Amino acid sequence: MKPLFKNIGVLPAMAGLVVIVLLFLLPRFVESTYALHIMILIFISIVMGSSWNLLGGYTGQYSVGHCAYFGMGAYTTMMLMQFRQVPPWLGIWVGMAVALLVALIIGSICFRLRGPYFVLASIAVAEIFRVSALNLKDLTNGAEGILATDIPPLKIGGTIITDFSSKVPFYYTGLVFVLLVILVTWLLQNSKLGYYFQAIREDQDAAHSLGISLTIYKNVALSISAVLTSLAGSLYAVYVGFIDPSTVLALDLSVQIVLICIIGGIGTIFGPVIGALVLVPLSEALRSNVIGESLINSGVVSADSAFGGFLTENLSHAHVLIYGVLVVVVILFMPDGVLGFAKKLAFGKRKEAA
Amino acid sequence: MFGKIQATALALILALPVAAHAAKVKIGFVNSITGPEAPIGENLTNGVTLALEDLKKKGIDVELVREDDTGKPEKSMAAFEKMATRDKVAGIVGPYSSKCANAIAKLAEKYKTPLLIPVASKEEITRQNLKWTFRLSATTYDYATILLDMATSLGRPKTIAIINENTDFGTSGAKSAKDYAGKKGIRVVAEEAYAPGSPDYRSTLTKIKSKNPDLVFMVSYVADAILLMRQSREIGLTPQAFLGAGAGFATVAFAKERAISNGVFSSTQWTGDVNWPGAKDFNKRYIAKFGKEPTYHAATAYESMMIMAETAAKAGDNREKLRLALKSGSWNGIMGEVKFADYEGYTNQNKHQMLVEQIQNGAHQTVYPPKYVSKKPVYPFPGWK
Amino acid sequence: MTIFMQSLISGILIGGVYALIGIGMTIIFGVMRVINFAHGDLLMLGMYGTFYLFTLFNIDPFISIVVIIPLMFLYGGFLQKMFINRILGTLPQNQILLTIGLGLVMSNSVMLAFTSDYKILSTSYSSSSFDILGISISTPLLISFAITAVITVALYWFLLKTDTGQAIRATAQDREAAQLMGINVKRMSIIAFGLGASLAGAAGALISPTYYIFPQVGSTFTLKAFVITVLGGMGSIVGATLSGILIGVAESIGGVYFGAGWKEVVVFVLFLLVLLLKPSGLMGKSNV
Repeated sequence: MKPLFKNIGVLPAMAGLVVIVLLFLLPRFVESTYALHIMILIFISIVMGSSWNLLGGYTGQYSVGHCAYFGMGAYTTMMLMQFRQVPPWLGIWVGMAVALLVALIIGSICFRLRGPYFVLASIAVAEIFRVSALNLKDLTNGAEGILATDIPPLKIGGTIITDFSSKVPFYYTGLVFVLLVILVTWLLQNSKLGYYFQAIREDQDAAHSLGISLTIYKNVALSISAVLTSLAGSLYAVYVGFIDPSTVLALDLSVQIVLICIIGGIGTIFGPVIGALVLVPLSEALRSNVIGESLINSGVVSADSAFGGFLTENLSHAHVLIYGVLVVVVILFMPDGVLGFAKKLAFGKRKEAA
Repeated sequence: MFGKIQATALALILALPVAAHAAKVKIGFVNSITGPEAPIGENLTNGVTLALEDLKKKGIDVELVREDDTGKPEKSMAAFEKMATRDKVAGIVGPYSSKCANAIAKLAEKYKTPLLIPVASKEEITRQNLKWTFRLSATTYDYATILLDMATSLGRPKTIAIINENTDFGTSGAKSAKDYAGKKGIRVVAEEAYAPGSPDYRSTLTKIKSKNPDLVFMVSYVADAILLMRQSREIGLTPQAFLGAGAGFATVAFAKERAISNGVFSSTQWTGDVNWPGAKDFNKRYIAKFGKEPTYHAATAYESMMIMAETAAKAGDNREKLRLALKSGSWNGIMGEVKFADYEGYTNQNKHQMLVEQIQNGAHQTVYPPKYVSKKPVYPFPGWK
Repeated sequence: MTIFMQSLISGILIGGVYALIGIGMTIIFGVMRVINFAHGDLLMLGMYGTFYLFTLFNIDPFISIVVIIPLMFLYGGFLQKMFINRILGTLPQNQILLTIGLGLVMSNSVMLAFTSDYKILSTSYSSSSFDILGISISTPLLISFAITAVITVALYWFLLKTDTGQAIRATAQDREAAQLMGINVKRMSIIAFGLGASLAGAAGALISPTYYIFPQVGSTFTLKAFVITVLGGMGSIVGATLSGILIGVAESIGGVYFGAGWKEVVVFVLFLLVLLLKPSGLMGKSNV
């Protein structure tokens, strides 16, 4: 995979900088907490997608059990905050450490397997964590989940930086995490380690015969990926304020993580970003039936007509269906994801022009 | 005393402008329309549909903003925020599940938007001193207590086995049962939490049968309730009574399985034959419209929507007024008397009277407490046919 | 002792149905190397088919498999022809996601058509049982176990004795070589997916009288099918049969001795152990 900006041009670098600055300024201009909420969800999705991308996209190990690391971050941070009064900005580090530990254990077991066996083993391990969290009631509160009562205010030397009462601190935390994972991805892509990863992805046996230790580098990839995924989990837990095994340790979530990357385009820096930017607003639009409403409001479809009635009554039921159809369409017609498809389109056009 | 006068005065002031013209109010309704909770969510949707019809008859035109939370807390948050800030609804009814209710109860406080929770029963929700969150239904603890109260008033059970689904409602229901059994001097001889959706509970039930408990207490959703009872019959588990904590045992589908449902007790928030004003009528109309009997979820959703919309129509666009009116008002409808009170650590919690129904020949009969009885309870369990 | 025997017997009986689900999955994997995440949803379709045949036409669930099996075969073949054949050469994760997408479409279309209500199929024998030495044996489960056995034997005969069966096995062993030998590999894939789907549908039909039906019922069974397939050795029918029964027993006995909540963990740990000690599964060597 060609790096997107190996020698960063002045123009793209400027554009990137402008985007970052604008993102940092956004909460000053945007009053709508709803918009901020969607932005935070997008950030969380980017972080988990990009983290998976390091393992799945660059190293070629398709884990469908990444909810385990998300859940480790979420549970550790939340348990420390609720039961031990450890503030989340410290808990997050513990969460990362736990995720690392879990990754090493899972890695040592699952990386002995390849291909579809690895996929299924990763699912099995994640399920073990989910069921354990359900049953270890004294530790995790079991199925009742953990509800955050209040978050201690963040103070530096007596001055309160934030008391977490608005969405803004979560927004910035999310944004910083996003920049962090993108930076890590970019550094990796251009480093020796990154080349090892990609060599493993392209041909494990060839990589092995070149002296690249499969066990070590697969585990390194998983560890980095797991630690970063736990960040997304911790942020989600503290932000939503409630976690239980069926939300943060579910197979659904693992699939969602993979989906973000595949829709966007795997093995690229911006694939997961695009994936999150497509999927989160889309599922929100489908969920809240914006499409049906706007069709009616714009006068295209009359609210009293049979079709209008169908839209308001049934479209809200059908959003997962539409989501499923989209997945099928993307896989069939854009096998390299939206980003790959866009590139191909642009490339094709350029060719035509020439 | 002073508070009462104030409240009455306020109610009068609020009531005055209404009589003049038909009111239009915008109410939000967040519910699990898709996702794993959808089967129960549908009952809430139906209840609200009936409520809207009745409100229209009363001259209140409700502009309903429906939102699906797909059973996920972060989605319910998005829904709440959209309704509170973009749609600018007067108040919000919902959501169905406790985990979603937990996630948005605090948002109600933040956006100063009244939230009326119809049926999510986790105790903590109304124990956080939240001023903007109201709950119509009784809490999980009451599902267990009413059943054990009844069992001890009808017989002398000494031991109990607890089987629960390994979910939020299941776990907290089992915990309450264990706690209250201890207070009543009933010994817990078995505790089994199972993962829902398993086709085979026979081994677990055999283990319980070997302990020979007087009472078998179960917390299960719709379909597992039927499976558990079918398999109990297969292996011949016969305690003094089968006690089902709401949910699956209170459904019509369960009652219709006469071979296995006869004699089973279940605690419920509402029954179709209870003598609360309008309950029987609601039951009839619901069957006529949707072709099936209403569950208590439907009734709570109906009543919540009625209360929210009527109060909002009086309060106009003012959310603070709406909150005060909810806080001070009292209603008497299909859910019996409703008043949102502060007591024993709860805030804005309706002290709802739970009921016990027993399935007799394929129909639910209200059998406890005595005040609401429609048929006499059959105790102990008559045995399998 | 009674408890142990009871769990063992009911575990074996339930395991029969699991085996059927696993065999379907393993055929699909063996021939296409595609992990079918929509397998449970195919089972769900079989359940709905059975339910409506029973309520509308009063056809007994056990007889309805005569209708369900060919219908599901056609449907599976259609899915393979229209969707999965198009992506056989592409990245494995795309195949996984395609089946996930198809599964979502199936379960949600069903939800739109029949609402998300639980459907209970009550036959006169749904909870009937008989006693042998104090152990109760569920009649419907015993019948479904017997039917499973018949289907499995028939499938064996088909794969070993017929030309098509041999072509399918050849495709499973080496796709390219099979193609060179003049086998129409795409056609074999269509037949294989059809077989897999019809087995899942049959399992759905067999389990209907003792279970319940709702649009999302598939996911539990998809997970079980994975475990069974890997445990038995991907592509091995004997393996899938044995491990289906093994999983049934492990769940049942694990549920008694570790508590009902832990029985899934027992299954997954068993799964991981087998993967680690014998990654090719119990019967890993023999292909289909």
